[in-house]
Amino acid sequence: MRAFRFVVRVLARCIPFGLAVHAFASELIVGLDDGHGKPAADAVVTLRKDGETQELHAPVTKVIDQREETFLPYVEIFRPGDAVVFRNSDRTRHHVYSFSAAKSFEFVIAPGDSTPPVTLDRPGEISVGCNIHDQMITHLVVSDAPWITRSDADGHALFEHLPPGTYELDVWHPQLRPGRPGPHRTLVVTDAPASLAFTLPLLPDPRQTGERNRY
Amino acid sequence: MSFRLRLSLLFVATLIAVQIFTALLIYGVARRAFIAEGERQLSAGAAAVARQLDDISSRVADNVQVLSLDYALRAAIAQHDQSTVLSALRNHGRRIGAERMLLIGLDGAIRADTSGPVADGATFPFPDLADASLDRPAAAVVALDRKAYWMIVVPVYAPEPIALIAAGIPVDSPLLGRLQQLSALPNTIELVTDDGGGRWTDVARASETISLVAPLTTAGRALPLQPTVVRAGGREYVALATRLHESQRSAPVAVVLGYSLDDALRPYRGVALAWLSLVALGLGVGLIGSMLIARSVAQPIETLAATAHRVESGDYTPPALLHERGEIGQLAAAFANMTHAIAEREERIRHQALHDAVTGLPNRKAAETAIRQALGSASNASGALLMVGLARLPEIIQTMGHSICDRLMQDAGTRLRPFAGRGFVARATDAQFSVWLEGTGKADAIAIAFRILDALGVPYQEADLSIDTAPAIGIALHPQHGNEASALLRRAEVALIAALDSADPVAVYDPTTDPHRPERLTLMSDLREALDRNDLRLHYQPKLNLGDRRIDGVEALVRWNHPQRGSVPPETFVALAEKTGNIRRLTRWVLATSIAQAQEWAARGHLVRVALNLSARDLEDAELPRRVGDLLSLHGVSPRSIVCELTESAVMGEPETAVQVLKRLADLGIDLAIDDFGVGQSSFAYLRRLPVREIKIDRLFTQRLGEDLGDRTLVRSIVELGHRLGYRVTAEGVETRSAIEYLCDIGCDHAQGFYIARALPADAAETLFSRGVWDMTRSGARA
Repeated sequence: MRAFRFVVRVLARCIPFGLAVHAFASELIVGLDDGHGKPAADAVVTLRKDGETQELHAPVTKVIDQREETFLPYVEIFRPGDAVVFRNSDRTRHHVYSFSAAKSFEFVIAPGDSTPPVTLDRPGEISVGCNIHDQMITHLVVSDAPWITRSDADGHALFEHLPPGTYELDVWHPQLRPGRPGPHRTLVVTDAPASLAFTLPLLPDPRQTGERNRY
Repeated sequence: MSFRLRLSLLFVATLIAVQIFTALLIYGVARRAFIAEGERQLSAGAAAVARQLDDISSRVADNVQVLSLDYALRAAIAQHDQSTVLSALRNHGRRIGAERMLLIGLDGAIRADTSGPVADGATFPFPDLADASLDRPAAAVVALDRKAYWMIVVPVYAPEPIALIAAGIPVDSPLLGRLQQLSALPNTIELVTDDGGGRWTDVARASETISLVAPLTTAGRALPLQPTVVRAGGREYVALATRLHESQRSAPVAVVLGYSLDDALRPYRGVALAWLSLVALGLGVGLIGSMLIARSVAQPIETLAATAHRVESGDYTPPALLHERGEIGQLAAAFANMTHAIAEREERIRHQALHDAVTGLPNRKAAETAIRQALGSASNASGALLMVGLARLPEIIQTMGHSICDRLMQDAGTRLRPFAGRGFVARATDAQFSVWLEGTGKADAIAIAFRILDALGVPYQEADLSIDTAPAIGIALHPQHGNEASALLRRAEVALIAALDSADPVAVYDPTTDPHRPERLTLMSDLREALDRNDLRLHYQPKLNLGDRRIDGVEALVRWNHPQRGSVPPETFVALAEKTGNIRRLTRWVLATSIAQAQEWAARGHLVRVALNLSARDLEDAELPRRVGDLLSLHGVSPRSIVCELTESAVMGEPETAVQVLKRLADLGIDLAIDDFGVGQSSFAYLRRLPVREIKIDRLFTQRLGEDLGDRTLVRSIVELGHRLGYRVTAEGVETRSAIEYLCDIGCDHAQGFYIARALPADAAETLFSRGVWDMTRSGARA
């Protein structure tokens, strides 16, 4: 894995940015950082190709755990029709709510309890917080994009087996500044593996209590 | 300006100057210190104000942050429940003291405003704050509608940012006042904003009513970011401005801090007052003290000055300061000594001035004063002044010297002293004593004079010498001989001289014999004036040529008709002129006039010789021949027309110059005649040495020529002898027919006298020239 990362970096450095746009690869690595040299994890990268929609799949239910006053995971990707269940693994109550347009709800979850599954049938981003604990936040990304992935802790989003063609790439991150959409890029994918790098100007992580209120 | 005043002024001026200098120095130092202190306080204060404002804004921001997390509010915002949002904002605004609360969309549009309805498309005016608020709560001081606000912007998380809440908390005067009270900030805090035109105006002030921003920014100056001294409302401040953290979109906002120097100096006003009182006190004490000291110095000096004035007027009382100690006492003592010395010296001088050193008797001046006093006190009283002289005194001095003469005079003075009881005895001159006898008549005076002569008649004895002084006394009487001391003295002296000359040793003044009458002096000056004004006249006495019986010569005789005295006899004023040295001027006038007349006559065909008289003094004038020559050539007159007549006495025994003058006159061709021949001591032998051409027989021999045989013989002898020696002979004073006939008989050349004609004016004389042959039987005088 380290060796692979090294290769990607070398590639990213050797190939000028302009050429990279036109590179062809069946495999695409998108590198993301937060503008301060740190990898931007939990970014959602989507690819859309003309005429191609998401292949049909059976709806799934995903669990958002609440452990040590933190939603886990921070960002979860859903397909329209999937359901979400909030589980309280803490010994305190949590007051989970969402005012998002895609889905709004409100649950008070006793310690150890779980909510009933909530079906997320509309695409969109749903911010979920806890009214008791300000720093608790999770984002449910409901998307119908054919290719969607979440960057890992190193800020890498990896796409494999991409058929060659022209794609629309979008990046989203919960800490993007409101009103400023993430990077969008049109790219052509060939047989060769390709990589892209983006810098996301991110707001401070809201989960880190105390920093938000300090000057 | 008196010494006292000057000294006081010096004291006072010095004191004031020193005090003012000190005060200025202290004030300057204090002021500088306060300015420095003010600058230090302001610099610290500026930081403190900024920090405090930041602290407050952070607390306010926290509050806003907290209320932004209110679930109900978030729900209302998320659900776009506008009225709930607005009321919640109002509610929360009150909690935190915000005057204005805004809900702002993430796109910057104002979605709710507690101050009123929101206009369509209205956006938040401070997008930089909105933008920054997503990173951290943004707070800044902004100016809105001429008011200052803390604008605090926080996002509303639900749980991601869904909107922004902006809280406007007024930064107003009360707040600044509280800020100032809670801290050790300077007493003037002023919030100012740029009103857009680069002009700063204040929007809030703490307590102070004075605004510093206007004076600070007059004439377009920028706000001072360094401490600056400024004057506002009649007081002085050190002022400093500091810019506040502000929105980029807001008008600039700054805090102006002022440190009042007057307030800083206020605690020292008491000191200044005390100092002023001290100065006033010192001034008063100094003034009084200097006046006193000056008086103690000046008063004795003034007293001494007064004493000096007294001394000046002759009062020699010593100054009343001898008891003084120190320099003044010394000065007073010296002054007293000096006045004493002056008084002594004056007494001595006065004595010397009025007394004779040899005899110790009063001198002439003293005598004069005494006589004047006597005359003044009793104007009608009589008196006699005796002038005692020693006839042999000059002889004694020449033979025996002055010292013995002094002793002799001393002795004479001693002998005269007994008479001092009756009168005032003085030494009038070196050789004369005067004795003034008041109330004494002529007879008594003469009697006393003889007693004095008796006293002085005893010969003076010294060793083996016995000197007879031959005393004589002249007497002048008052009031007969004068009413003045000086006149009496002079006349007594005249009388004394008369007495010395005569056998009688006592003489009373006789005005008729006084040769020193003052009128002579006036006559002399009148003569000079007459010469200047040409008031003299020449008359011409014809000379008859006994050979051809014609008038062929005249003698020019000077005549003076005095305007007051009438005709003055020539012998009087000519003698006077000779004595007073004016004869040369007279001669010159006579020469000029007669030569001019001769020329006039010659021009009319009258060939007459004009004879003119020269004085013995004229012959001392070496210039005379030249002057005569000049006059002759000036008038074109032949020297033969002029004859110079001289008396025998004039030529006898004269020095060589006189002979030279005569010879040079003769060389000019002028004939010389000896006048009054026969009465003097001249001899033919002497005359032979002189270039004389003519002799004139004195009238003494011719007047009785008709009857006196002796005179006839004498005259005939003179004529014959004269002719033999080659002289022409003229007879003067011919007054009778027999005389002129006799003169014709003996062959005398010319005759002159009343029988022919008196001295006549020029025109009258001229008529005689043209008469032709003279009829000897007819007297011209009678004609």
